[in-house]
Amino acid sequence: MDSKTLWDNILVQIELDVSKATYTAWFKDTYISKIDSGTVHLAVPNTFVREWLQNKFHKTILQFLRDSMEGVRAVEYLIAPPNKKKEDFVTEIPTQNKELPLNVYNINPDDNLNPRYTFETFVVGPFNELAYAASQAIMKKPVAYNPLFFYGNTGLGKTHLMQAVGNHIKQHHKDKRIFYITSERYTTEYINAVQANRVNHFKEKYRKYDVFIMDDIQFLSNKEKTQEELFHLFNHMYDGNKQIIFSSDQHPNYLQNLEDRLKSRFMAGMIIDISPLDTESKIAILQTKAKMNNFNLEPEIAYYIASVVHGSIRELEGTLNAVICQSQLKGKSGISLNEVKQLTKDSTKPQKNISVKDVVKAVSAFYNIEEDSIYNKTRRQEVVRPRQLTMYILREDYNISFPAIGQKLGNRDHTTVMHSCEKVKNELKTNPELINEINQIRSLI
Amino acid sequence: MKIETLKDKILFAVQKVEKVTSKNTTLPVLKCVLLEAKDKRLVIRSTNLDVGVEVVLNVKVEKEGVVAVPGNILLSVISQIPNDKSVFIEEDNGNIVVFTSTSKTIIKCLPADDFPSIPKVDEDTSKTLKIGATELVSGLKAVWYSSANSNIKPELSSVRIYPQEDKLVFVATDGFRLAEKVITTKNLPDFGHVLIPVKNVSEIIRIFEGLDQDIDVFIDENQISFKTDDIYMVSRTLTGNFPDYKAIIPKSSSTEVVFLKQDLVNCLKMNTIFSDSFFHVKFNISPKDNSVKLMTKNNDLGESSTEIPSAISGDELDINFNYKYINDCLSTVNSDSVTFYFNGPGKPLVIKPVSDSSFLYLVMPMNK
Repeated sequence: MDSKTLWDNILVQIELDVSKATYTAWFKDTYISKIDSGTVHLAVPNTFVREWLQNKFHKTILQFLRDSMEGVRAVEYLIAPPNKKKEDFVTEIPTQNKELPLNVYNINPDDNLNPRYTFETFVVGPFNELAYAASQAIMKKPVAYNPLFFYGNTGLGKTHLMQAVGNHIKQHHKDKRIFYITSERYTTEYINAVQANRVNHFKEKYRKYDVFIMDDIQFLSNKEKTQEELFHLFNHMYDGNKQIIFSSDQHPNYLQNLEDRLKSRFMAGMIIDISPLDTESKIAILQTKAKMNNFNLEPEIAYYIASVVHGSIRELEGTLNAVICQSQLKGKSGISLNEVKQLTKDSTKPQKNISVKDVVKAVSAFYNIEEDSIYNKTRRQEVVRPRQLTMYILREDYNISFPAIGQKLGNRDHTTVMHSCEKVKNELKTNPELINEINQIRSLI
Repeated sequence: MKIETLKDKILFAVQKVEKVTSKNTTLPVLKCVLLEAKDKRLVIRSTNLDVGVEVVLNVKVEKEGVVAVPGNILLSVISQIPNDKSVFIEEDNGNIVVFTSTSKTIIKCLPADDFPSIPKVDEDTSKTLKIGATELVSGLKAVWYSSANSNIKPELSSVRIYPQEDKLVFVATDGFRLAEKVITTKNLPDFGHVLIPVKNVSEIIRIFEGLDQDIDVFIDENQISFKTDDIYMVSRTLTGNFPDYKAIIPKSSSTEVVFLKQDLVNCLKMNTIFSDSFFHVKFNISPKDNSVKLMTKNNDLGESSTEIPSAISGDELDINFNYKYINDCLSTVNSDSVTFYFNGPGKPLVIKPVSDSSFLYLVMPMNK
């Protein structure tokens, strides 16, 4: 029996015992919000109702609950807004008045956290399991890893993860003061504080928090004074044993124009990479999101979307939304795989058609060498490496055959190409700098 | 229960408390005020399940007891008693008898058992602050009329109060205009913010207006309470987020006009006679001729145009407003003159009293 039927049954019994007036006044907007290990949490609309139920009806309610369900030990009353029934039909009053461009933000102004981001909606897969484990660890035992540093491409759930940690700590440790901010806003606030001559106030404000979360730290590059401020804040919090969490799109080592002393501090804690999505995780994410939207997603459609959408979770979400919307239009019959294919035709990024020339151009531009030298027979050191990288990229990213690559790059033997690819592959395992170089070249193409 | 007290004393208390009783309710006991005589004191209590209020009077208690009396009847009876008379209230078989040396009234009561208790905010765990009643009321009165009437967006049909360093900021908006008032106080706790439903704000104003005392305010997650020596009041607060209003307050202006407040009020009164159903009033500002004209036109009744003496700087402008919105804020402005900061057509107008930076009013123009 789910909690709704349970409570409905009890309400029916209570309704018989009390007057109609009493029932509508005290019981109408109540519901069971959760049941956990024998304690029933009853949601009531306000404190008046809480007091009244506690003082007058506690025994009755507890008795009814015990009769209907075994193992009920206690009832807790908590205040929650009534369950939204049907939205009231709102007729706009005609007015010629323009509206103020007010935006209601969905975040809590005290800590900047968006309550939407929780672990319930967070999908753990091989790509982020380490990050997940680390955040679980600091939730159990704060400052287990301090600072905690997540990095990874956009749209892989860094913000979700960090905010979920914040929300979780907020829920379970009421006394902890948490603050989430993006580095961009931190910078703006710092600038404002300097302008208004209130730097001390700014310092004070941030030093009182127990958990400090800063998102997208890469935007701090070139902002020396803000970096310095963050550096002092960092030291203060670190010494005070306060948890600090950062995120960025790159490993701190590769962050451009960031002070070394900051980098070295980031390195002191735990640095975790959130890697690109694998297909299984994509499917899991799709299923979770579909469930959140009360949509029954066929496994084959999920698999298809996962296989065609590359890149971020946001893109996955977008595609899924399109599918859901389309199938709602269709009504009962639902949506078929073919229709999904049709639908995703435009929203998925096609594999870029690329000529060998483009790759060569990018590589030579990156290493600042003549394009021609890649095609030439020369074996000068500064050319050999870029040439090998070119071969590797052509093979790995664009799946061109070894002989074809060899032929295009100055009529080389296919074994030369194979050797080069193998060499680069091996070097990648030991040389993180090379990964970074290749990623930068890829972004140039 | 049996008590004896002076008419003025009990009338004052019942007047304050009776207004809170619920007029139209499924639960009849909410129409009542609860009288509780105990320890030489009479506690008068009422609630509509949204706010609760309690007033304590020192009276002569001959016999302790509790009764729930229909509030409007009790109030009518007491206010008819001639002044300077002692009033006796005695419980008798579930009814109460109100008598003086010359009159005797019996009022039917409801079972006191059914009367809801008024929640107390835990004083140890809640955030507390102290504020003068005058300051609290002036803060609320300066902004509360700007809240939305409808319940579509609960956060807009409430007044938001939040601390900012050593100041308490009151703000309310209905999406068309916005009022902000800053009150300087001391020792503010960092309570984030509270949203008090505007319905309850009017009760708070009514209860504490005219008092010259300090109020202890307690804030917890779901409620806010106000406490003086003899009054306790509690209101529900809303959880929700208030719009990020700071971002929309214009930093500069294209036309600035200073009016004498009284001139403007008189002129608006004149113009309201001919306004249309949308309460249109047109501002015609011409720095060249150094004139500001207010114009209204009603196709059925006629039209009017009035020139107001003013000091103008900036660009020429024709702009329409809802005169009600402008009139609303003028009644809460204390200074003699006000400055209108216009920002060009279609852009919000900022109104500030001259030489008083604590109040700010923002209003959007009309489309026509």
